[in-house]
Amino acid sequence: MVTNEVYKKEYDVIIVGGGATGAGTARDCALRGLNVLLVERNDYSTGATGRNHGLMHSGARYAVTDGESASECISENMILRRIARHCVEETDGLFITLPEDDLDYQRTFVEACQRAGIRADVIDPDEARRIEPAVNPALIGAVRVPDAAIDPFRLTVANLLDARMHGAETLNYHEVEGVIVNQNRVEGLKLLNKLNGEHVEVRGRVIVNAAGIWGQRIAQMAGVNISMFPARGALLIFGHRVNNMVINRCRKPANADILVPDDTVCVIGTTSDRIPIETVDDMRVTREEVDVLLKEGVKIAPSLATTRIIRAYAGVRPLVASDNDPSGRSISRGIVCLDHAQRDGLEGFITITGGKMMTYRLMGEIATNAVCAKLGNTAPCVTASRPLPGSEEDGPRESDATKRYSFGERAAIGRHGSLAARIEKDNDIDNALVCECEGVTVGEIKYAVHQLHVHNLVNLRRRTRVGMGTCQGKLCSCRAASLMGEFRHDVKGAQEDLAAFLDERWKGMRPVAWGDTLREAQLTAAIYEGLCGLDMAVNIEGKEDVQ
Amino acid sequence: MSDRMQISNLSENNFEQCTKCSICTTVCPVAAVTTDYPGPKQAGPDGERYRLKDPAYYDKALKLCLNCKRCEVACPSGVHIADIIQKARMDAGEGKRASLRDTMLANTDLLGTVANIVAPVANVTLGLKPTKWAMHNMMAIDKRRTFPAYSRTKFETWFKRHAADQQNAYPNHVSYFHGCYVNYNFPKLGQDLVKLMNAAGYGVHLLNKERCCGVALIANGLYKQAKRQARVNATNIRQAVNGKHYTVLTTSSSCTFNLRDEYPAILDEDTSDVRDSIMLATRFIYKLVDEEKIKLIFKQDYKRRIAYHTACHMQRMGWQLYSIELLRMIPGLDLVELEQNCCGISGTYGFKKENYERSQAIGATLFKDIEDARVEAVSTDCETCKWQIEMSTGLPVENPVSILADALDVEATRKANGV
Amino acid sequence: MRMDTVIMGGGLSGLTCGIALAKRGKRVAIVASGQSTMLFNGGSMELLGNIDGKTVTAPLEAIATLPKDHPYSKIGADRIAGLAARAKLMLSDSGINMEGDVAANHWRITPMGVAKPAWLTLNDHLRINDLNQLPAKRVALMCIRGFFDQPNSMLAQGLRDLGFEVNAIEFTTDDITALRRSPSEMRATSLAKRLVSHNALQRLADQVNSLAGDADMVLLPSVFGQNNADDFQTLQSMVNKPLRLVATLPPSVAGMRMMTQLRHYFRMLGGNYLMGDSAVSGTFEGDRLTAVTTAKLGDMPLRADHFVLATGSFISRGLVADYERVYEPVLGVDVNADSDPNRWTQFGVLQPQAYSRFGVATDERLRCLKQGKPIVNLHAVGSILSGHDAVKMGDGTGVSLLTALAAIDDIIKSE
Repeated sequence: MVTNEVYKKEYDVIIVGGGATGAGTARDCALRGLNVLLVERNDYSTGATGRNHGLMHSGARYAVTDGESASECISENMILRRIARHCVEETDGLFITLPEDDLDYQRTFVEACQRAGIRADVIDPDEARRIEPAVNPALIGAVRVPDAAIDPFRLTVANLLDARMHGAETLNYHEVEGVIVNQNRVEGLKLLNKLNGEHVEVRGRVIVNAAGIWGQRIAQMAGVNISMFPARGALLIFGHRVNNMVINRCRKPANADILVPDDTVCVIGTTSDRIPIETVDDMRVTREEVDVLLKEGVKIAPSLATTRIIRAYAGVRPLVASDNDPSGRSISRGIVCLDHAQRDGLEGFITITGGKMMTYRLMGEIATNAVCAKLGNTAPCVTASRPLPGSEEDGPRESDATKRYSFGERAAIGRHGSLAARIEKDNDIDNALVCECEGVTVGEIKYAVHQLHVHNLVNLRRRTRVGMGTCQGKLCSCRAASLMGEFRHDVKGAQEDLAAFLDERWKGMRPVAWGDTLREAQLTAAIYEGLCGLDMAVNIEGKEDVQ
Repeated sequence: MSDRMQISNLSENNFEQCTKCSICTTVCPVAAVTTDYPGPKQAGPDGERYRLKDPAYYDKALKLCLNCKRCEVACPSGVHIADIIQKARMDAGEGKRASLRDTMLANTDLLGTVANIVAPVANVTLGLKPTKWAMHNMMAIDKRRTFPAYSRTKFETWFKRHAADQQNAYPNHVSYFHGCYVNYNFPKLGQDLVKLMNAAGYGVHLLNKERCCGVALIANGLYKQAKRQARVNATNIRQAVNGKHYTVLTTSSSCTFNLRDEYPAILDEDTSDVRDSIMLATRFIYKLVDEEKIKLIFKQDYKRRIAYHTACHMQRMGWQLYSIELLRMIPGLDLVELEQNCCGISGTYGFKKENYERSQAIGATLFKDIEDARVEAVSTDCETCKWQIEMSTGLPVENPVSILADALDVEATRKANGV
Repeated sequence: MRMDTVIMGGGLSGLTCGIALAKRGKRVAIVASGQSTMLFNGGSMELLGNIDGKTVTAPLEAIATLPKDHPYSKIGADRIAGLAARAKLMLSDSGINMEGDVAANHWRITPMGVAKPAWLTLNDHLRINDLNQLPAKRVALMCIRGFFDQPNSMLAQGLRDLGFEVNAIEFTTDDITALRRSPSEMRATSLAKRLVSHNALQRLADQVNSLAGDADMVLLPSVFGQNNADDFQTLQSMVNKPLRLVATLPPSVAGMRMMTQLRHYFRMLGGNYLMGDSAVSGTFEGDRLTAVTTAKLGDMPLRADHFVLATGSFISRGLVADYERVYEPVLGVDVNADSDPNRWTQFGVLQPQAYSRFGVATDERLRCLKQGKPIVNLHAVGSILSGHDAVKMGDGTGVSLLTALAAIDDIIKSE
């Protein structure tokens, strides 16, 4: 649908926020037959969704401290294995006890897991060393749990794709500038189309605020108050998979106690710091955060001490103060769904927040239930049983790749599941690799640009992994920028996009710029500035969405 | 902790040091002639990250790697690209079901033993059209190949009959790992080494037991057998080095490289305790000359123009300097150092029917350089390069040791060294 | 093993030293740990292109204004023109034919179509002396189908911005199509290996001749002649319009060719080029370096009267930055680098980065310092020197060539 027509329509529901929660809510609403519009101010999954471990918790981490969250996790974990197969890697996880930890905690932990319904097998340290050679060999105890890895970018896109297949409209780069309220009823939103600078309005019967930490601002625009307490967490990405199982510390949750194998890399995190709400858009990682992560990380897997770090990043979790305690001392880590009609006397406005990326589906279900209650829709929720596009039962596996030299095809199936069938691969040019680290072909880029709402290279990276390898976009970013320029008939824009992309990559590399990562940066500068003169071709001052 | 943390970036996974500069792709002789091979960067560091995620990402095309190591020599980041590829091949179980052809080619010593016994027949038979036809069609050994001739007498037999007894008379001693080629095909090279070392005052001794070094077994994926033979060789080398304090000399760059570097890197046979005592004869001799412990005196009337070709494994070891500098000591020798390009044979690779065209295409640049150099002979430290260059250029190819022995004024040298 | 001079580093500066010494009959060994950063070169040498964000048109004049820690200032601004002339001669002796004027920069065209100031550019590459007087009005930009290491649309746009009338024409030949069967290996250097034979060049020329229309000049990506300039000459003789090459993304054919030619010339002069070996440590006696041990020569260190440190910057591992400090890893000589890792870099990828000016400390004669005192027979040349910025100032290749020649002069003088 042409964007202009979107603006004229009246929707049953408008969802604000293109993270996993917003996307999951949009899918659920659409599957229940509602007219849905989703608006996102940047790209999809740029907030907390895309800035965490990529860990599909078994719930074990919360078992001791928050039994309810733990139960939610294990139940969603099992659901996601079925419905989001192509986004999930079933690695299992270990909770290890180190000599400095209290081994008695292990019993407390296992009992709590059992209470929450999480399989937790105590295994011998020798067995732990055998099944996960990267683990700190000094461990004195280990528990095996059904943790897994999940790709939040793919997960979000798959939900959006399914929502769209069921009639939903989705707009990225549309920022909410105001909430239209008429006589204690929310009727629509004022939006800025950031792609062309236009100010527009959209109308809906119910607005769902699924904007994560930015939801406080959306609520303010509607005239209601939610107290959020942003908790910032920094993480480090290492150049390859050191571990093949998730490794956690078996103790009370603390800094840098989870190491997750994500696709071709592994991620250690997180730090945890309360920050002022005004600073939630500054996601640059400091040297001090890197120090903490490394110091703790090597205790989980000693080889991290000598493994190359390719970048650092940070995210902000939206923690919400309980309504009866605005001071913030009692903070809920669970899912919070606020019907502002009941809470604030404002009709047509629902906030869904708190929770975790991996409970996004449940959050979507809860929010959709609230929407349906308002609209009198009685259709049941089917998202727990219906596979996401790409994850159909009979879909292809990576090993089904057939081509003579199949790296790109395999990697594409790994990323897109059955949707990889939409990628052209019948001629040599479509099969040519653009990103050699991650096996992204010309065909996959075409598919992403034409079907996955890609406006720039950063979007493209989230959809395909272009530039996510160890070189962080050495040659591929130029190849991809040039292709995008041709597809979009905008050469100047492509150069600026390239510079912005390299800047975004550098933002993550800079906090860890020593050793091979500094060499990599110098080589990238030699190519793009020295050889190509990109710095003379563009001006990136004041460029937005440099995530 | 911080004194160790992130200081040395020497992860076990040395591919991490790859900056994706792609320089290795510019020197790969295989990728230069075929698009079936993904090139060293994709096959090595790029592929390895995905194979760590899932071994199913192994690609059969990796079999096309020659293991020539040119990518490693070119890499400005010190990544052991070819080792990564060999390991991946091994992990994927390549070679478990090697064909009769591959097994035959790889077992250079077994083949040699049989061929020696029947050498006159073997040489004629291997040269005959019907035999070549049969090998080409039934065993996929290319019929255009000239099979190296087999000697009637093994080097070991000659040594025992004609040389062994005199060796103890010399003041100094070395051990000699002769390799399959000297033993079965070309004993003269071994005889030349004995002549040279004796003139310099060194007695030459064989190992108690010597097996094929296994370079061809590795290339053909017969890792298990290679490991067994490596163990035998390591044991016997240790006896010579630790027991008798002999340096173990070699005259083949590939054997040398295999014994020193591939045993620990690929076959898990740690030879680090004796590694420094295994070396090419040219390095040993150069060192003695450099330290003025021996003198070499050459014939005055020796006049030749020769081109030196650096074999791939020689380049990887970085020892061509010794051979070149020794040859340059021969007053009448006009030496041309060729650009370092692969000849294309790579051990047994070029013998296989499916590789013949590729093999000749890889070598084309080198053959052209040799032609342009207008020389009467070529010198190289590798026997398979010798076969390939002789077949492809028609020029004789000689090991530097043979050239030194030919040019040597034996009597004057013996005298100068007090023998 | 005894040499007159041992050079650590086999890139542009190391080879320049090696050639200059071998020509004087010296016994020289170059220890080169892999191929050099010249493989990222676009076919030009730069003396000085930029100061504080301002483009330099007259490099000799601008050099006189450089701060005194810049390598050019150490050499002495008055010597630059003379050294530059010798460098150009050395290049042409090696078979590398480049044009340019040391007093006035010309413009090279980058793979993205940007005009960047340069001192020397290969004769077969597109060069603009005066932006107001373009060498052609209408150009046919021949774009190879399926070759992604030249961003054709950006290049075309850049050329248009400069005032060319550009007709961008996609084409292919059987040889090129065959190479594209490889998903990963269609690189500039791979094309150069396929486009060598007379027949392959003729097929390409036929395409160019039939498609170039009324253009005054034909532009092709720089994918010809990995070993020498002959392939280009052959192609030019087959094409009925003037032909020029435009740099591609790396690995660069022009850089590869220049390195091959320099190495070949060095070997012809009797030099020893130890490819794939690297210096690992040195032996000092008082204020002299007496020997260098390499990874591959092992217990036979290279002894010499003089040593040159030309191991490059971080990329080439001539400098190493670890978690907390920057150092020179082979000899442990003094470096000029910030002690606080937070100040090595700044956010903003196109901002000047402090690390790119880090390097070894030398005296005015380019001799390395160790604990503040000069090592009298150890010179540092090229990218490992501190006080310059190849990326931001466009002085990398110039510093390599000129400091190499200046160091050789000092070595000769000291004998």
